[in-house]
Amino acid sequence: MPEDPSAARARTDGDAVTRTGDASPGAPEGGDRVADLAGIDRLLDGLVPTLMAKVATLGVGELEVRQGDWRIRLRRPIGGPSQFGRRATDRPGQRIHPGHEGLGAPATPRPAPQGGSALGGGPATNGSGGPALAAVGPGHRADTAGQGDEPAELPSAHGPVATSPAVGVFQPGAKAVGGTRVQAGDRLGVVDMLGVPQDVLAPADGIVIGVIVEAGTAVEYGQDLVHIEASGAVGAR
Amino acid sequence: MFNKILIANRGEIALRVLRACRTLGVEAVVAYSEPDRASLPVQLADEAICIGPSDARRSYLSAPAVISAAIVTGCDAIHPGYGFLSEDETFAEVVRAHDLTFIGPPPEVLDRFASKEGTRRLLGSYGLPTIPGSVGMLRDDEHALEEAARIGYPVLIKPSAGGGGKGMRMVRTPRELESAIKVCRSEAKSAFGDDSLYLEKWLDENRHVEVQVAVDRYGHGVHLGERDCSVQRRHQKILEEGPTPAMSPAARAELCERAIHAVVAAGYENVGTLEFLVDANGDPFFIEINCRIQVEHPVTEMLTGIDLVVTQIRIAAGEPLGLAQAEIQPRGHAIEFRINAEDPAHDFRPGAGTVQRYHAPGGPGIRMDSHLFPGYEVPPFYDSLLGKLIAWGPDRATAIERGRAALDELVVDGITTNVEIHKAILANDAFLEGRITTNLLDRVGSAAFLAAAARS
Repeated sequence: MPEDPSAARARTDGDAVTRTGDASPGAPEGGDRVADLAGIDRLLDGLVPTLMAKVATLGVGELEVRQGDWRIRLRRPIGGPSQFGRRATDRPGQRIHPGHEGLGAPATPRPAPQGGSALGGGPATNGSGGPALAAVGPGHRADTAGQGDEPAELPSAHGPVATSPAVGVFQPGAKAVGGTRVQAGDRLGVVDMLGVPQDVLAPADGIVIGVIVEAGTAVEYGQDLVHIEASGAVGAR
Repeated sequence: MFNKILIANRGEIALRVLRACRTLGVEAVVAYSEPDRASLPVQLADEAICIGPSDARRSYLSAPAVISAAIVTGCDAIHPGYGFLSEDETFAEVVRAHDLTFIGPPPEVLDRFASKEGTRRLLGSYGLPTIPGSVGMLRDDEHALEEAARIGYPVLIKPSAGGGGKGMRMVRTPRELESAIKVCRSEAKSAFGDDSLYLEKWLDENRHVEVQVAVDRYGHGVHLGERDCSVQRRHQKILEEGPTPAMSPAARAELCERAIHAVVAAGYENVGTLEFLVDANGDPFFIEINCRIQVEHPVTEMLTGIDLVVTQIRIAAGEPLGLAQAEIQPRGHAIEFRINAEDPAHDFRPGAGTVQRYHAPGGPGIRMDSHLFPGYEVPPFYDSLLGKLIAWGPDRATAIERGRAALDELVVDGITTNVEIHKAILANDAFLEGRITTNLLDRVGSAAFLAAAARS
């Protein structure tokens, strides 16, 4: 008989929290791993829901908290989270904590980032390596549950984000520095696609509040690159 | 063998290639456009990377985007599937220039077979009977009229590039030719970026029979039997079967032998399909070669037990075929039904929407290649193929019975599909007796065809 749609959703939401297999310099090994897993559990149960609520109420695009050896970063997706960087180790069969699948779905009554929120983050000592915590799965599917919520709410709660115009390698420009005032259409950097630079443009007037992706990183089309706080946004809320 | 393959396609064929990669133990990255983010191949892939927006020209048809995606994800080969960039020799060339392998014929082979008109002459020189047609491309209307008069009406206007029936028109008079040629040029230009046209003699009552071949880099080739794709609507295949009911076993064997001999002699490499028209006397005429994996490849897989996509990848990786002709023993009969998001009641208007319920049929001899799942939103930007239902049986009658039961079992709620036309075909005497011709559906009219099936 046809599958239960909710079962399919649980599978496709795919918001399991996973650790990538490529041990980055700060990644704990061996016995620490058990402690790690317990740590992840604590984060998921306690910290993440709180963070999600914070992200929603503060209207910021990104929030980062450190706890012990772990750093957790929560970022609101625009038009669905980025999928790039999903690794072989993120295959469904190798996910840990399957019980946390569907984390991104609005399980709490509070407004929360939807569908596969890009749970970034990594060991505190490693800012550039592969994320130790990575959301996998398209996540977009979760939208079917609450269609309309996300598009209506996100733009106001989330500052403008300059996204990647192409698949390639990101090189931030001089204006991609926190605190820089930019105007809509300003070039914030380029994505090099087979040697052809494609401009990353500021989507709105405002102040650069953060560059999400480091120089030289491979990015996919539409990936969030630079956060901007729109002029006038401050004080409006 | 490759370490990691970028799959530069979508839908059921992306899934099919992904499965082949799994079989080979090769990692696969699915390149996708924004509206395909939630698609099944993207979900099941080892990795997935967004390469552009919904407009295929900026995603699946963008050579720079596809190649850049392969490079940044560390792939060493690109599988183009069918359509999109699958037979683009310039793309294959650029892929190689970036030290990647194009999974398909090498660029120089694609180039050799790029012109349909030139290929007809090339393979004709290696002993294949070819359809009478114009010599070279049509320069202008005057040239077209001269050539048509020489060949004799009716003639078929065909674009040199592409496929899928775009830019093709059959004309019976010089007057029709003059008006149709403009339409064909503009259709070919927009679909393939190339408006060169040529003419072929049109056979009114013809059958479409194609021979599947596989040739390795070392010049060893085999044929894997033939498929009959005579059930068409406006030059679009909707149902394929094998073996063809149009020819005797001896005639089929001879056709396949001549086909493999000619392509090996002409220097073809990798899997490919030689298409023939078979006239009312059972005489075949070569029309064109498809240098890619085809939509209907599962028919041959069911008959031979050979995985054609795996074979294609192995050949591209430089492996010898490792198969002798005598080892290929097609068994039984297979029929493929293309399940499209089309409304037969409204002139096969393509549709989109969300799949509410989906159930793939099963049972002995049944295979369903589809990227559907409950909740999947069929985007309106691409072709209407939702999947392929393939029914195999030890003989044609059993394959038809199994196909009928499987079509009844299939559930795709939320999207209007063309399943009714398949049920009507399976109730049609011409089909059941194995004498359907490519013009039957268009001559009778799909509406009348459906109505006749409903009465029976």
